[in-house]
Amino acid sequence: MSALVFTLKNEAKFTLNVASLTPENLEGKTLAKIKKIKIIYGNETVNLDTLFTVKGSNSSDIVIENSTDKLINVGQGMNKGSITIKGDVGDFLGQGMKNGTLTVVGNAGSWIGNAMTGGRIDINGNARDYVGAGLPGDSFGMSNGLINIKGNAGDRVGDRMRRGIIIIQGKSGSYCGSRIHAGTIIVLDKVGKLPGEGMRRGTIILAKKPAHLSATFKSCGNLKMQFLRLLFTQLASIDNDLSLFNKYGPEAHRFSGDLARNGKGEILILQHYK
Amino acid sequence: MKINGVQIDDTFAEAFPMKATRIIITAMTLKWAYRAANAIRGFASSVIACGIEADIERELKPSETPDGRPGISVMIFAMSMKDLEKHVATRVGQSVMTTATTACYSGLDSEQKVSMGKSLRFFGDGFQISKVINKRRFWRIPVMHGEFIVEETAGVTKAIGGGNFLVLAKTARHGLAACEKAVEEIQKVPGVITAFPGGVVGSGSKVGSKYNFLTASTNEAYCPTLKGQVKSELTDEIGSVLEIVIDGLDEASINEAMRLGIKAACSFGPAKGVCRISAGNYGGNLGPHLFHLRKLLK
Repeated sequence: MSALVFTLKNEAKFTLNVASLTPENLEGKTLAKIKKIKIIYGNETVNLDTLFTVKGSNSSDIVIENSTDKLINVGQGMNKGSITIKGDVGDFLGQGMKNGTLTVVGNAGSWIGNAMTGGRIDINGNARDYVGAGLPGDSFGMSNGLINIKGNAGDRVGDRMRRGIIIIQGKSGSYCGSRIHAGTIIVLDKVGKLPGEGMRRGTIILAKKPAHLSATFKSCGNLKMQFLRLLFTQLASIDNDLSLFNKYGPEAHRFSGDLARNGKGEILILQHYK
Repeated sequence: MKINGVQIDDTFAEAFPMKATRIIITAMTLKWAYRAANAIRGFASSVIACGIEADIERELKPSETPDGRPGISVMIFAMSMKDLEKHVATRVGQSVMTTATTACYSGLDSEQKVSMGKSLRFFGDGFQISKVINKRRFWRIPVMHGEFIVEETAGVTKAIGGGNFLVLAKTARHGLAACEKAVEEIQKVPGVITAFPGGVVGSGSKVGSKYNFLTASTNEAYCPTLKGQVKSELTDEIGSVLEIVIDGLDEASINEAMRLGIKAACSFGPAKGVCRISAGNYGGNLGPHLFHLRKLLK
């Protein structure tokens, strides 16, 4: 069966909410029915086929072509299958996602993986702020799953995250891992100011020394962390995309904190590459 | 039936259902992984008094372990989930966690699980950290050597215990040489263990005893010193009987292990003191798994 392909006919002028285009929502629907699905474009509701051409049949393998950052809520609540976005994508990618995979060939907006509880999101480009974070008023951000960003990410990555793993292969903005309850954030390039501010538990792994670290983090010295060995081995075994973790070793400078808020979290600054 | 001049008795080994788990112990070096594995399998020869039967299954290359360090795969068998639950947690806690630089992971992926890190985490006294990686939960317990990493649970599967055969030889020296070779061959089969010391039982038992407080006692029919005193299964030339007991994950692996083991023992032949191969059973009344010697050697 060929992938179910949605191609945006023209560049979208307004935000386009495509939350309904998930494998479980489209399962069992004919092409004709899919074309008549209502989507919100700007402040009006339109039929899907006014904006997209649709072809293919495999609803568990969805492809969105000619995508732009106006497309929002892609993969909202999805719990199986895969969605591949060719181009950029807007905010709230994979919001409330439970399972399956989301791949973005271009860049992504803010609030990626907000409230996600499982599955995996891969961004080949950059992402904006609040990756895996919780919305204002929410107790927690993401509570499981894996977000892998090959480019850079904006500020407040993982704000209030509860569980799961976020990998930023490029740079991360300021307040990375702010207020996290648990979970793991890995940044392989530079990180902005005050990483881990207000963190309760959880782990922030930095491949490069941060320019600013809050005074409320206490050094535990340079250590060989058995946990890092396990984490990197496990991540590298997932697939080729993550095999780069084979080159990282277990040596790290451990800081515990944020002492202003319980102090059971940790920032591990990697010391050596293999 | 004879193999290399050694008579194969027309009998069968009788085995019974068990529960099994496999754990992976890693350490900085293989030597230290072995120390932990040897500690965990100590006093685990028979469920009769030890509660579990455990042994090293095989060495693992760094590429086969969850953390990329050298490791040992250990299999633990028990009669019930309750026994397994009790002994896995205590043995991992006292034998693996106390061994320097070790970590302990589940080596079986299954629905049924027993606690491992789930109970041991409390040793961290509030400083323990949970991590979910690849849908598996691990506990990081801060200890004096650094960190002890232990998986929350270990997978459990249905298994079979009590596959066996007896090597009837002229002397203990002859029997032991044949048994050592047999155990070497059995260890090549994945999914089986020989839990007794060195894989060989020097004091095979029968069910029950004249003393009502004992559930098992010496198998007098195979004791050479009682040949003239009881209804013996031994002929004049036999001066020693050794038993090899095999626990395994399924019938096929026990079959294969018994076949390889018996053939290895028979390769010594009567010239080197191996006279007969037999097997222990309870008349087919106790266990649902019967391994007929002649059938599996065909």
